Amino acid sequence: MILFLCLLPLIHAAAQQPDAAMIMSKSRDLSLTGSMSAVISLTISEKNGASRFRTISMTTKSYPDGLEKRFIKFIEPADVRGTAMLVVDNKNIQDEMWIYLPALKKTRRIVSSDKGRSFMSSEFSNADMSSPTLSDFVNTHFDQSGSLDMWIIESKPVTEDKADEYGYSKKISYIRKENFQIQKMEFYNFDNELFKIIEIKSIYPLEGGKYIIKNMIANNILTDRKSEIILNNISEGTKVDDSYFTLQNLER
Amino acid sequence: MSDLIIKYRWLIIGLCLALGAGFALLIPKAETDPEIRNYVPANMNSRVETDKIEGEFGVQDMVVVLFSDSCILTKNNLQQIKDIDHAISRMKGVSDRISPFTIRSIKGDEGMMVAEPLIKRIPVDGADFQVLTNGIMNNRFARDIVISSDLSSASITATININEPETETLSRIDSVIKAHPGNAEVITGGLPYIRQHIMRDVKKDGLLLIPFALIIMLLMLKLALGKWRSVLMPFSVVILATTISMGLIPLLGWKMSILTLLVPIILVAVANNYGIYLVSRFHEISYTEPSISKNLMLSSLIGSFKMPILFSGLTTIAGILGLLTHSIIPARQVGTLAASGVAIALIMSLLLIPALIYIRGPLGREKKRKKVHIIILDPFFNAISGLIVKHPGKILLASALFTILISSGIFLLRIDTNQENYFPKHHPVRLASEVINSKFGGSQTISVMVTGDIKSPEVMAGIDEMTLQLEAQAGVGKVFSISQVVREMSKAIFDRNEPGYDRIPVSGDAIAQMFELYNMSGDQGDFKQIMNLENSKAHILIRLSEPDNNVIKAVKKKIASFIGSFPATITIGGYAIIMDDFAASIIKGQVSSLIFALVTVLILLAIIFRSVKGGLTGSIPLASSILILFGFMGIAGIALDAATALLSSIMIGVGVDFTIQYIWCYNAHLRSGLSYADATVSSLKTIGRSIVINAVSVMAGFSALMFSGFTSIRFFGYLVLISIGSCLVGAIIIIPAFLMKFRPRFVEMNLLKKVELRLRSA
Repeated sequence: MILFLCLLPLIHAAAQQPDAAMIMSKSRDLSLTGSMSAVISLTISEKNGASRFRTISMTTKSYPDGLEKRFIKFIEPADVRGTAMLVVDNKNIQDEMWIYLPALKKTRRIVSSDKGRSFMSSEFSNADMSSPTLSDFVNTHFDQSGSLDMWIIESKPVTEDKADEYGYSKKISYIRKENFQIQKMEFYNFDNELFKIIEIKSIYPLEGGKYIIKNMIANNILTDRKSEIILNNISEGTKVDDSYFTLQNLER
Repeated sequence: MSDLIIKYRWLIIGLCLALGAGFALLIPKAETDPEIRNYVPANMNSRVETDKIEGEFGVQDMVVVLFSDSCILTKNNLQQIKDIDHAISRMKGVSDRISPFTIRSIKGDEGMMVAEPLIKRIPVDGADFQVLTNGIMNNRFARDIVISSDLSSASITATININEPETETLSRIDSVIKAHPGNAEVITGGLPYIRQHIMRDVKKDGLLLIPFALIIMLLMLKLALGKWRSVLMPFSVVILATTISMGLIPLLGWKMSILTLLVPIILVAVANNYGIYLVSRFHEISYTEPSISKNLMLSSLIGSFKMPILFSGLTTIAGILGLLTHSIIPARQVGTLAASGVAIALIMSLLLIPALIYIRGPLGREKKRKKVHIIILDPFFNAISGLIVKHPGKILLASALFTILISSGIFLLRIDTNQENYFPKHHPVRLASEVINSKFGGSQTISVMVTGDIKSPEVMAGIDEMTLQLEAQAGVGKVFSISQVVREMSKAIFDRNEPGYDRIPVSGDAIAQMFELYNMSGDQGDFKQIMNLENSKAHILIRLSEPDNNVIKAVKKKIASFIGSFPATITIGGYAIIMDDFAASIIKGQVSSLIFALVTVLILLAIIFRSVKGGLTGSIPLASSILILFGFMGIAGIALDAATALLSSIMIGVGVDFTIQYIWCYNAHLRSGLSYADATVSSLKTIGRSIVINAVSVMAGFSALMFSGFTSIRFFGYLVLISIGSCLVGAIIIIPAFLMKFRPRFVEMNLLKKVELRLRSA
């Protein structure tokens, strides 16, 4: 009886916790924007101190049915300048990608279903660069979730195949209670070992509590490689015509 | 010296036992080093260059899991491979892997570039299997890499994470294979497994061969000396010398290798010789002078045998020390350990055995043991000595012709540094390497690192040209390079009828954009083993289907032919290149150790016989034995390898004793007034018998090696019989015939004033 009384506050607190899936959904919705453009700097730092830089301009447009289109143009380094990409991020079907290679004067469609693959050879995966598909995960509260100012949510892929696709066994997301902004994500490999941490360093606030991640760093604990993405010249809400996201524009 | 032994006998015994016990405690601390590349010095060019390449592209030691069935492309087989592959991918000890389920297919299709797994789903019907078969056959990164062309085998190649304990990783892989049984037969191979087998087999061999050699030696000693008490005296010297030598391994910070297995066997076979002479002489004194006092007996024993035993020991040590001139590290270690062991045995024979004999005292009027061997050997020696006395010239001529005939086999002698050949034909290591070599490009690799602007079209074209030429080279199974990826990309970007199809682009920007394209569809990490992320270094990996030293040399020569005109820096390395250096070290070490041993022994013989001619004469049996040994190896197809390369030095060290003993005895007989003919007959009847017993005892000791788990060590065991046998024949046939025919003056001189005819009774 005494034990029950001691545990009562904790049981009560647990009962008060909102559903983990709902927290993830809300956090995801806040990071969805209608349309935006920015210049992105990507820095990849090796363990030995060597670094590689990429500068790209990116314009995105989100549609109400969950469809998202991205137009990317390479600015730096010089040998890939003018290379352009068009990405159509479908919600429930495979993503579509086209790339234009100016030196070869060729446009090619790329088919790849692997979300766990690296984004431009960085520590970020393709999945990290787009909004997560919530149905691919089982979300639960992790230890200490809600005890401070954070919701700590554990997301496990629903199947082994999904785990293979995403390239990890679980993800722990740290979401600020007050505004549902994501602060940090920890990724665990198949040995249940922490292998990657993504930290959100700064955000670009939008109306209605929405936001764009402005600066984030992915740190691979096992390889000591680090990748940083910084968004500059952010322009949100500008109307972009659908004709912008076409193959004709890609080769322009 | 005898006074000192009598005075300090208990101290000598106590010190010997304490030393033995102390070193015995160290033996369990000895570790085994199964890494063959550590056989060559770390500063050797091939190792330095290989380290540079591995520093950039990771260690190329891979575990290969092989699946075989009449047709590997069945639902059940693919499921078994997928399950095992999946489980291996989850292991911490595995950093990368290539399997039918990791290989990607990059192709151009109706304006698309498709980058997708080779096997997305396991096919369910015949049509799907046909599509998969076509996909494998048309994918250069799948065909004969993860699935063999004859569709009978599949492979998972896993790179071991060197930060995790290798034994644990291999054990986990074995457990995974066991947990997923299926129709396909599964075997494992690759360098980590070879290392594991070496670790196990070295231990197993040690536990089998050493006791076996000791038992043989006990029986030999019992046969030669009769009484168990007498047997135990030289036997204890063997045990102590072997224990101290093996204890030196951890004390010196060394590790056990396959070659170290030879040390205890050498000592078991050789270290008892001096003790046998002393104990035999002790028996003789006891029988002939039963009432002799302890002190006089010891003085007589040591006085008569000190010098011959000392010379015999020194020549053996000199021969074995020839191994120190080898650049092969374990060969030098074997030389040091075996020479130390012989030196310890020599010292203990001269101190410990007399101390034990003194405590034991004379045998008294015991019944003299009937010497069975006299009955067997006497008619033989009668016949031999008769022939030598009558026809010395003909014997020399026949011996010379025989030696020349056998030595012609030297031209057939080959070098083999392939460690897979250390194992017997049906050993798992050999079975796996046969499948890898015949169906998956080869188990041994050569690496070429290209340093420069890899994205420049000139460098990329150079890599492409080298790749194409190496692919056409005999004995090369597979070549992997970044230019192949670029060509595959060009095939996905351009249509077959366009000029850019299957070509290296002519501009650096085009190559850079191709890589960027790949980064979008795949992951640059997919080819991190062939190009670094900064695009400043590329790696051409050559797998050898015939890992023969001649093939390695030819490939190395082909790569070297590019160096002058190549638009970037080239570094050549890899396991096979280290093995090529290893082969060169074996030849160099063989020549230098032979020269060292022969010259040292010649000098020692010249000192012993007080004549350069005497030294040269004493070297005749050794020189002819060396020719016969190498000639026989060539004819029998036994290669010169890390183990067999040690044989000649050991043979010189051991075999020279027989000649010294014969000439010494012959000299004594001549000086006692016998004619050359009578001295020959008498010497063969007396010392000849001892030499035969000595040689048989040495051969018996070494015969344990014939039961080794390593083919190379087994061959060493067989060849010892040939080499010691030819030294024996040299000492009891060629040398007597030579002395009879040429009657050199040195043989009539007083070799050692104080050592007289007592030798005869040996």
